[in-house]
Amino acid sequence: MRRISREPSVVITLAILVGLMFAFIIYPQVQVVLVPGLGGYVSFLAEQTWVKPFFNSLQVMLLSTTTAVVLGFIYAYAMVYSKMPFKPFFRIIGVLPLLSPPFVVAASYILLFGPRGMISYYVFGQSPNILGLGGLWGVQTIAFFPFAYQLIADVLARSDARMEQAARNLGAGPWNVFRTITLPMARPGLLAAILTTAIYIVEDFGNPALIAGQFTVLPTQAYGLISGFGDVTGAAVVSTILLLLALALYVAKTRIEGQRSYVTISGRAGTIPRPPVPTVVNVFCFVACSLLAILILMVYGVLLVSAVVEVFPVKWGLTSKHFEFLTSNITPLQNTLVYGTIAAIICAMFAMLLGFLVQRREWRGKRIVDFIAIMPAAIPGIFFGIGYATAFNQRWLDWIDRGALITISMIFWNIPVGYQAAIAGLQQIDRSLDDAATSLGAGSLRAFRDILLPMLDGALLTGFVTAFVRAVTTLSVVIFLFTPSTTVATIKIFQLVNDFMWGGATAFTVSVVGVAVLVLVIVWTISGRRVGLQRTG
Amino acid sequence: MYLTLEHLTKKFPARGKQVGEVAAVDDISLNIEKGQFVTLLGPSGCGKTTTLRLIAGFEFPTSGHIILDGQRLEDVPPNRRDMAMVFQSYAIFPHLNVFENIAYGLKVKKIAAAEIKRRVDDVTKLTQLTGLEDRAPNQLSGGQQQRVALARALVVEPKVLLFDEPLSNLDAKLREEMRFEIRDLQKRLGITAIYVTHAQEEALVMSDLIAIIHQGKLAQLGTPEEIYEQPRSRFVADFIGLSDFLPARVESYDATTARVTVAGATLTVPTKLGLSRDQSILLHIRPYDIEFVGESAQDNVLPGVIKQATYLGNIVDYRVEIGQGLALRVQASTDQRRAAGERVRLHFPASKCHLIAEE
Repeated sequence: MRRISREPSVVITLAILVGLMFAFIIYPQVQVVLVPGLGGYVSFLAEQTWVKPFFNSLQVMLLSTTTAVVLGFIYAYAMVYSKMPFKPFFRIIGVLPLLSPPFVVAASYILLFGPRGMISYYVFGQSPNILGLGGLWGVQTIAFFPFAYQLIADVLARSDARMEQAARNLGAGPWNVFRTITLPMARPGLLAAILTTAIYIVEDFGNPALIAGQFTVLPTQAYGLISGFGDVTGAAVVSTILLLLALALYVAKTRIEGQRSYVTISGRAGTIPRPPVPTVVNVFCFVACSLLAILILMVYGVLLVSAVVEVFPVKWGLTSKHFEFLTSNITPLQNTLVYGTIAAIICAMFAMLLGFLVQRREWRGKRIVDFIAIMPAAIPGIFFGIGYATAFNQRWLDWIDRGALITISMIFWNIPVGYQAAIAGLQQIDRSLDDAATSLGAGSLRAFRDILLPMLDGALLTGFVTAFVRAVTTLSVVIFLFTPSTTVATIKIFQLVNDFMWGGATAFTVSVVGVAVLVLVIVWTISGRRVGLQRTG
Repeated sequence: MYLTLEHLTKKFPARGKQVGEVAAVDDISLNIEKGQFVTLLGPSGCGKTTTLRLIAGFEFPTSGHIILDGQRLEDVPPNRRDMAMVFQSYAIFPHLNVFENIAYGLKVKKIAAAEIKRRVDDVTKLTQLTGLEDRAPNQLSGGQQQRVALARALVVEPKVLLFDEPLSNLDAKLREEMRFEIRDLQKRLGITAIYVTHAQEEALVMSDLIAIIHQGKLAQLGTPEEIYEQPRSRFVADFIGLSDFLPARVESYDATTARVTVAGATLTVPTKLGLSRDQSILLHIRPYDIEFVGESAQDNVLPGVIKQATYLGNIVDYRVEIGQGLALRVQASTDQRRAAGERVRLHFPASKCHLIAEE
């Protein structure tokens, strides 16, 4: 490991990066925590209005995480272990939810099962009240099981097939191998995946905002306090409680990951095939995945249909009026595209340079900076948004363009994504390559630019694509930052749903998902490779 | 002296449960003349690569000095040290073609394109890479990649050329060829070279000087002959070539020879060590230097019984017990085969015996 003190250019670069991180990650967060003041905390906590949302959050987190993880595990097991047909199809279905705002599930659920839902009302003639815990539980299960699937599939895919072959060779049956070899080896990874899913769910703002009704959870309470009462102090306290909850989960997760993991990371594990599973398991996997895939297709299908018919599900005549509405209100979509693209490019570059300095160089405070770069992954979007609102919504900062501020929030909220992609990419590049450049006379930054950056194009694209998708699909981060002229698509959708303008809302949703898919396809085409999305957390 | 290492020491924080620091390089001093080929030889983990990285500047020493051509190097960053390194993994830049790889160092030094072209041409000729300039690295064989790595380092005309186990990834045959090729180029160009390896043969074939490194310390420095024939410690003798060690006791001695008792018999051995009577000492001999002799021979002879005979193709490898629980390895030609259980007499030629003071 090389010290940087002998290279002034590196020291200056690092100082700039760290300075920006302090200004746009640390400072706003500290603002939120400090804003209420001691008195604010005492009086707000004494009011006890937070108690119910707190327990609601815990309750729905436990319920939704359990169901999402169970479904995610089945899907992941089927994808990794079974020999079921149509795996590429199921893979695409599993990725789709990552490319869309999580709250689309809630929107779709209302259209299907709401008081005037296609299935509830027009098939069964019921007009149920779906708002509340039950609805939220169901929606979050569907919305987050694909995330759980991705995380768990990662863990299972890394388990060493050689061990399983060896166990089968020693006489263990398929079920025995799974129980005594696969599961124990994957346990730390699985626990971490469960906790990560729990973090996603407890931080979820969009779904409860649309469907939870009177069942207030912490993120919706924080939003309600600001938007309804202008009570920044209360919102800050509530979101700090939420932050503590998320951080506790996050710390538990890193503890577990830090434990000795038996999962092979050599990447060679995949070279031999896994032992086959019994036919009955294959059949079960196929049926289960098909049902889940149908569910997901219904969620997206309903949105698509609603966007092209007069009034879903009453007037089925085809129409382009919702998209005409969209084109006459194109600004939010444009903003989404512009802010998201700029943010993703800067984020990926910033994170790559930071990853290089952390992974390849030795300097004091490195571990702290590493922690700060990962931190936003554990910060609830609503907390991050309130942080930016309190820190930068100030008179003396009026000269800052609102769009720029939204872009900056997207950059720094997504730093962990690019950063983890960068670290993963750098770990795969032999250090002797940068040593070689150095020994031939290139300074650190020159070697980074000439040698590492061109080799890291895959990681860079992963960081870019993931940051872009997350930027265009986030609601909670930007909900306190927008002005009429800087509205982004997710906020527009949120407003339209609240106004029951389903046609317009679904047209926007379809467009956002379409843009995300389009960008992914463009990147695939240009780079000639299948860049995946970086898992966060 | 051209390149001097003075009390070079590098400590790393201990890993795992241990506390404190571990010295990977422990007080190594070394003088290297211009144009010399010096090999740092030792088992893996002995500190030879760390020493090389300290010289290159990839690590900075905890204490001690590195002086090149009169200039202290400790505070000079690695990219300004006028050295070039050839790596074990070759470290060919995979996104650049052969020409661009070789030209990289010159481009960084902002040398004019025409000059770059000329120098790259020269060095590709020298390393027999002409015609491959447009190839991508993954279109090259292992040996060609090795040559590109060498050419890339040579072309910048470094003051010192550093090699970090450059041949260990080649197959045996190619490895042997490349040894001579590298040595030949180094001699022709008069470049000072430091070469790290754990392969003793490589060290013996290529070096002007061999520095044996053991547990971070310089165990012995000498020409290949000195290292092979006059190892100063059991470790050095054991590391280079096959060795038999026999515990011995000094009976009498003068300035050039000593008489020592081994397994009840007395042997005469040349030595320059300062000895004392009754001192315990190790007698060292190579298994292929021990001879089977008849009843008539008397001097420097020990009787023994063959315990095991293993045919190795060109020679036969024997395990011979010489009493008092001592066993020896003896290698002899296949002309006269001996069987296990046979009683034999072993001759220890005085010129092949060598005493090592026990640590």
